Amino acid sequence: MPPRRINDSYMDVDSDESDVSILDDDAGPRKSKGKGKAIDRGRDKGKSKVKEQPYAWEASYVRSWDTVQEDERGSLQGAVQDLIARGRRKRLLAPAAAIRRTIIRHLIILLDLSSSMMDRDMRPTRFDLTLQYTREFITEWFDQNPLGQIGIVGMRSGIGERIGEMSGNPQEVLKSISERHKLEPNGEPSLQNAIEMARSSMSHLPTHSSREIIAIFGSLTTCDPGNIHDTLDECVKDRIRISMVALAAEMKICREICDKTGGQFSVALNEGHFKDILFELIPPPAQRAVPRASGPGINPAADLMVMGFPTRLPVTSPPALCVCHSELKSEGFLCPRCSAKICDVPTDCDICGLMIVSSPHLARSYHHLFPVKPYQPVMTMEGVAYPASACHGCAVPFREIATPAGSLATDGMSPLGRYRCPECSNDFCGDCDVFVHDVVHCCPGCGK
Amino acid sequence: MDKASHLSVILDLSPTQWQLSAQSNVSHPLTLSTFVSHLLAFLNAHMACKDDNSLAVFGALPGKSVMLYSTTTPMDEKAVAADANTYRPFKILDTTITQTILDQIESISDNDVEAPIDIVGALTKSLCYINRVTNPANSRSEDATLLPDPRILIVSVSPDQSSSYISVMNSIFSAQKLKVTIDVCKLHVADSVFLQQAAHLTGGSYISIERPDALLQFLMMSFLPPPSIRQLISVPTQDKIDFRAACFCHKNIVDIGFVCSVCLSIFCQPVPVCSTCQTKFPMKTLLRLKAAHPHTPPPGTPPLRSGTPANSLPRSTSIAPGGTPRQVSNGNPNMLPVARSNTSATR
Repeated sequence: MPPRRINDSYMDVDSDESDVSILDDDAGPRKSKGKGKAIDRGRDKGKSKVKEQPYAWEASYVRSWDTVQEDERGSLQGAVQDLIARGRRKRLLAPAAAIRRTIIRHLIILLDLSSSMMDRDMRPTRFDLTLQYTREFITEWFDQNPLGQIGIVGMRSGIGERIGEMSGNPQEVLKSISERHKLEPNGEPSLQNAIEMARSSMSHLPTHSSREIIAIFGSLTTCDPGNIHDTLDECVKDRIRISMVALAAEMKICREICDKTGGQFSVALNEGHFKDILFELIPPPAQRAVPRASGPGINPAADLMVMGFPTRLPVTSPPALCVCHSELKSEGFLCPRCSAKICDVPTDCDICGLMIVSSPHLARSYHHLFPVKPYQPVMTMEGVAYPASACHGCAVPFREIATPAGSLATDGMSPLGRYRCPECSNDFCGDCDVFVHDVVHCCPGCGK
Repeated sequence: MDKASHLSVILDLSPTQWQLSAQSNVSHPLTLSTFVSHLLAFLNAHMACKDDNSLAVFGALPGKSVMLYSTTTPMDEKAVAADANTYRPFKILDTTITQTILDQIESISDNDVEAPIDIVGALTKSLCYINRVTNPANSRSEDATLLPDPRILIVSVSPDQSSSYISVMNSIFSAQKLKVTIDVCKLHVADSVFLQQAAHLTGGSYISIERPDALLQFLMMSFLPPPSIRQLISVPTQDKIDFRAACFCHKNIVDIGFVCSVCLSIFCQPVPVCSTCQTKFPMKTLLRLKAAHPHTPPPGTPPLRSGTPANSLPRSTSIAPGGTPRQVSNGNPNMLPVARSNTSATR
């Protein structure tokens, strides 16, 4: 699909782009950098199309016109439908490489709250945009990483400032950055102080969880008390992955931090790109398979954890004190081991220390473990004595006559519109095929 | 103006359970035929509510699931005898459903009777069907605002099958994605953990019916109004929701499980190697967990007595006065020393 390729081309221009902006900064006061670049690019538009088009709207325009062709009656409908169908099929047929991803994630977001965030090169200001995107980021992050936890540290007036404690509740995290006037940017940022603060708050975490830092950095300077390279070495030792989104330009120390800790570094070109590169950091990262000397053969990151699945009490239940806030409440969860009443899950039980998660949270990730086998396109009805007349899933009748287009076969499209499950040999229509693999993750025929 | 609503009904047609339900020694017997007549009245009421309302009925049978009726499949209307006393569409609906249920039950062979009820198949089929009827690309003539509001009603008589845990959960998540409400009407047997979670997660209501002979009343009062109207009337809500899960190794339903940190597979006892992702677990964790959880006794055996007195933990502060805590099969006293040793371990 186009977005992937666009991102790649973004990455290509990243490096030289940031060099330019550093020169800009040296030359004089920086003003409306993003806009200026957009105008430059507009000028170049005619010359070299592919290389010089990192903007999403420009790129997708060119590609969609290139690929869509009219049919004999001059209509685009068929071509578009075909394109969509092929795209979906191709996605399904892509080999699912087994990558181990970190599921239990711990993340600290470093927000730059220095005076450089008041720059207006991103509308309305870098600061407002960062807050807005961070909120969206947190919501989306918790959606994809239901067992993760997020804490927030701000960089302001040369010190690191704890804004939100590590929490697994999206509402709590969002609340900590909801009040704009409390986060008013001021002074210089200190990368070292903030990283040290984030590092200390993650030092207690068990080995099987990932430790990550994402910094949104708008300044071009950092005002540190000591040698930041020492901090960097400590982070590498603690296996903290640091990723950065720079809003101004690339700084060597930022790039080095990200490279050494295995994170991503990128510079935002404009508002849309800022969001794209921030949201690229949402999917769980592949776990680094670094065999450690201490445990040969045994993955140090793997461990068996004891978890409890609670009972939820309804609002109508008689009120009782909760163990976490000592408040009188009706609704809540009961710890399965000690029956303590807890306000929210996931959490650690305050009484017996059991990790309490709601089992649907765990189950959300199971479709990765047991994917539905790809359905095979049915090429011919020969040799089938009693072919099913309707889709086994949605009961839509199959078409009788095969579509004559010969090119379809190469894309894994069935000329009959039938896709057969290799397990239960039931036929499904194209819509159900995509729906079962993308959404349900469970075959209606065999229940696997 | 209210939108049309689509109702998918999933009927649990387990021959064994219906036989048990019809026996006269049950407090309120309900035979399958009485059930079907109640249900048909309810379905007719649904169709009568609004002209555009649509309906699909799925049957979950031992080892298979079938679509019994849908408003979109063309019917052979000639086959239904005319009846001057009945509104014709109702007559067609009633006859078709009764006939297909009969056909399906007759086709069950004797060795299939004990096979597990394919409730998952029926659920996924109804989701596929809803995906088709609510997908705007498929009904080109209508604009998106005319698409029906979908919901699913599961009438369940069988107990949970723990082997279908993952499939049920996957179906629940896809229902959430499609914004489908799942209602559950539970007859006779003990509460179903998975269906409770299904109703809770999709915002539907889970009602366990104590008087099955008053089924129609419950259907009409609680399940007839579409979700948009439910906010205005008070439909009975769930009492407690059990968030227990089934373990991957023995398919037991557990409330405290051992979870692989890599793939989040749940096990009911400490295992050295994860059966799903083949990860080996460190020996010291295993020894620690095994020491802490000596032997999970099978349900029914008396819990092991431990040295710690049961009242040494400040439990009384946290237990709701009315809501008695769920009893764990291996008993709370047994678990107390675990609580101690684990506090240091999990932190």
